[in-house]
Amino acid sequence: MSSDSLLEVKMRHRVGGIALDVEFALTQPWTVLFGPSGSGKTTVLRTIAGFVRPAEGRVVCAGRVVVDTKEKVFIPAHLRPVRSAAQAARLFRNMTVEENVAYGMAWESHPDDTKQVLQETLEWMRLTTLASRKTDGLSGGERQRVSVARAVAAAIAYDGTERPLLLLDEPFAGLDAVLRDELVVMLRECLRRWKIPVLSVSHDTGECYLLGAEVIRISEGQVVDQGPVERVLVEERQRMLERLRVER
Amino acid sequence: MDFEALWLTLRLAAATTAILLLLAVPLAWWIASGLGTMRALVQAVVALPLVLPPTVLGFYLLVAMGPLTAPGRLLILLFGHTLAFSFTGLLIGSVLYSLPFAVQPLVAGFEAVDRGYIEVAAGLGASPWRVFRTVVLPMARTSLLTATVLTFTHTVGEFGVVLMLGGNIPGATRTLSISLYDLVQDGNYAAANRTALALVVFAAAALAAIYLLPSVRRSDGRQADVVR
Repeated sequence: MSSDSLLEVKMRHRVGGIALDVEFALTQPWTVLFGPSGSGKTTVLRTIAGFVRPAEGRVVCAGRVVVDTKEKVFIPAHLRPVRSAAQAARLFRNMTVEENVAYGMAWESHPDDTKQVLQETLEWMRLTTLASRKTDGLSGGERQRVSVARAVAAAIAYDGTERPLLLLDEPFAGLDAVLRDELVVMLRECLRRWKIPVLSVSHDTGECYLLGAEVIRISEGQVVDQGPVERVLVEERQRMLERLRVER
Repeated sequence: MDFEALWLTLRLAAATTAILLLLAVPLAWWIASGLGTMRALVQAVVALPLVLPPTVLGFYLLVAMGPLTAPGRLLILLFGHTLAFSFTGLLIGSVLYSLPFAVQPLVAGFEAVDRGYIEVAAGLGASPWRVFRTVVLPMARTSLLTATVLTFTHTVGEFGVVLMLGGNIPGATRTLSISLYDLVQDGNYAAANRTALALVVFAAAALAAIYLLPSVRRSDGRQADVVR
């Protein structure tokens, strides 16, 4: 693995009926773990985040060893240079949308900057009009956007010296296609500007193309390919185009 | 009505509740956070006052606080007198006797908190203490209120431990339930009835507060889920 990678993962783990055995490194600003449901993508993400202790493995993030089973290293989730949003949008019910999004922002000595990033994040995720609402009445898509915005704001307003890795598990699931396309482009640009690397999980070919991301294809617990989306997902693209032709 | 006894009872219940919440919240969180044998054993010990006759607990406390045991001698050295037959002694007895009423609702409340929320907060960089304070406690606030009300009312209604440990000293250890017992012994049924009725009304009102207050009913989140 190259030493200047943003993330290095090497792990073996058993979960459900899947024997995970993966090894990869991240070098591009946005990388997508691509694969069918049940292929182990979420478990890989949860291992990097610190919620799964792998049976065997080593994870190096932003130059810091966060897991090494041989050396008995296991850094707890909140101390890792990682910020994450899970697939299910669990919003804090006792807080407003804005308070949810601000929850992980840690620039305590820069209140003005914090406020500005918070407002920008709410705008990017089309949440400004919902800012003062409690979360109970929100629709599924709105909840999803709050959940992603919360992780994005936490990653931008991170208190360490390094840039944290942002982990997003199916960040655009449940959004209508037009809004999704807008958000994908917007989020990609804003995170690129803040130099925050992203590893997301998806099984949506269109989303991967929109992101122009590096794709790591996972199948039955193994990494089977890694490279630019145009190469790795060429078959899926072909299939999609054929389906469109048939429908026409 | 014996107002001296009423005042003493309220002071005892308030102090017991305050001390117990400080002890029970971390203890319940520890019990609810894992499965080990140690946790099961601690839970069993915490539940003991539910099944033991209060007189048994009172008897052992009386012995433990007296000059016959090492902890008792230490207490006498610290306070200058035995803690038995004093307000402090009653307070220690009440804390132990009401322990399960504080711990058990909290354990149930903490166990019901979806672990996914704890992960979300940790994934945003929140320390375990911050997660507990800002996510777990607000989600378990119904249980916190239940534990508070149950502890308070249970202490108000305590009899056996108080009698064994505190005797019956007006202004120092005579609580309302002991006063009621005395009134019955004296054949003063009219006064006994007033005291008993006050205790019934108080207990009923406290329990109604748990089950009726709209904020309490909503805070378990079930209604909100149905709406969504």
